[in-house]
Amino acid sequence: MATGRYVSDLEEGDVLGPVEYTISRFVIREYAHAVELHQDFFQHRDGQIAPPTMVHLDKLRLYRHACPAGTGPHARVHVEYDATVHAPVPADTRLVVSGHVSGRYVKRGREYVHMDIEMKEAASQRPLVSYRDTVILSYSGESSKKADAA
Amino acid sequence: MNCLKILKAADVAEGMELTGPTRLMTRERMRWYVDAQPTVALDTGRIERQEPTIHDDDAYARSQGLPGIIADGMISTNWILGLLIERFGETAACEGRLRTKYVKPIYEDDAIVARARVTAAEPDGDRLRCTLDVWCSNGADQQVTVGEATVFVPR
Repeated sequence: MATGRYVSDLEEGDVLGPVEYTISRFVIREYAHAVELHQDFFQHRDGQIAPPTMVHLDKLRLYRHACPAGTGPHARVHVEYDATVHAPVPADTRLVVSGHVSGRYVKRGREYVHMDIEMKEAASQRPLVSYRDTVILSYSGESSKKADAA
Repeated sequence: MNCLKILKAADVAEGMELTGPTRLMTRERMRWYVDAQPTVALDTGRIERQEPTIHDDDAYARSQGLPGIIADGMISTNWILGLLIERFGETAACEGRLRTKYVKPIYEDDAIVARARVTAAEPDGDRLRCTLDVWCSNGADQQVTVGEATVFVPR
């Protein structure tokens, strides 16, 4: 159990969350603009939905919740995104997200961390997106205490 | 936004290649994604900012051993998603899978193109289950992001 301090302290088996939040129309539009997804169903249509890639930001949400001291002595680099979308994510829906550190290991001198994240509709517990995030904890040193955006 | 028609199941065949527009990875595009993260997290109705990152601050990127700022991998992931949505429609955002791996850094002003190739198209109930190799390449025709996707196309 290594939650409660730095992200770089996380160990295999650690559980992050659950955290509940409402995904607003504003944040969907802002995210979609930022990554140039200009389709009406992300922007303004009745029945607005979120880009499923927004699940990646739930990792940062879970980090903030479980590791309030920040990134720690090792900045991290995002190396892989792997998401399965079960159903669309409607705007203004109350969501619940939870994370599980499913692996931490060294390969060719680099330290990899896998986190499995489940996004569900809070009211029904219906699965919406299952996501595996992979990062490398690659940097060390005082200067890397500033968080990388991975 | 282009005006390409949305592909129907009958249009899809193994080996079909899809290509998105060429986009320069400008520092503005990198910063849009950096700013989107605290903006989404805080949900104040305003654009929020965060501490310098390797994606938007040259000095900080160099302090981390990089020659300059590099793009967050999620930008190329979203450009691949955008290509799938442009060609398959809303279904690509509603169900399926996308896996992307960042194999080379994307530097400022690299010319990036998202691409996909259909590797399998099989009936799945009233839909066609399409499996694709997906990637982004740079101006030197090097793959910088690679992966695969599954999209369900109504029949």
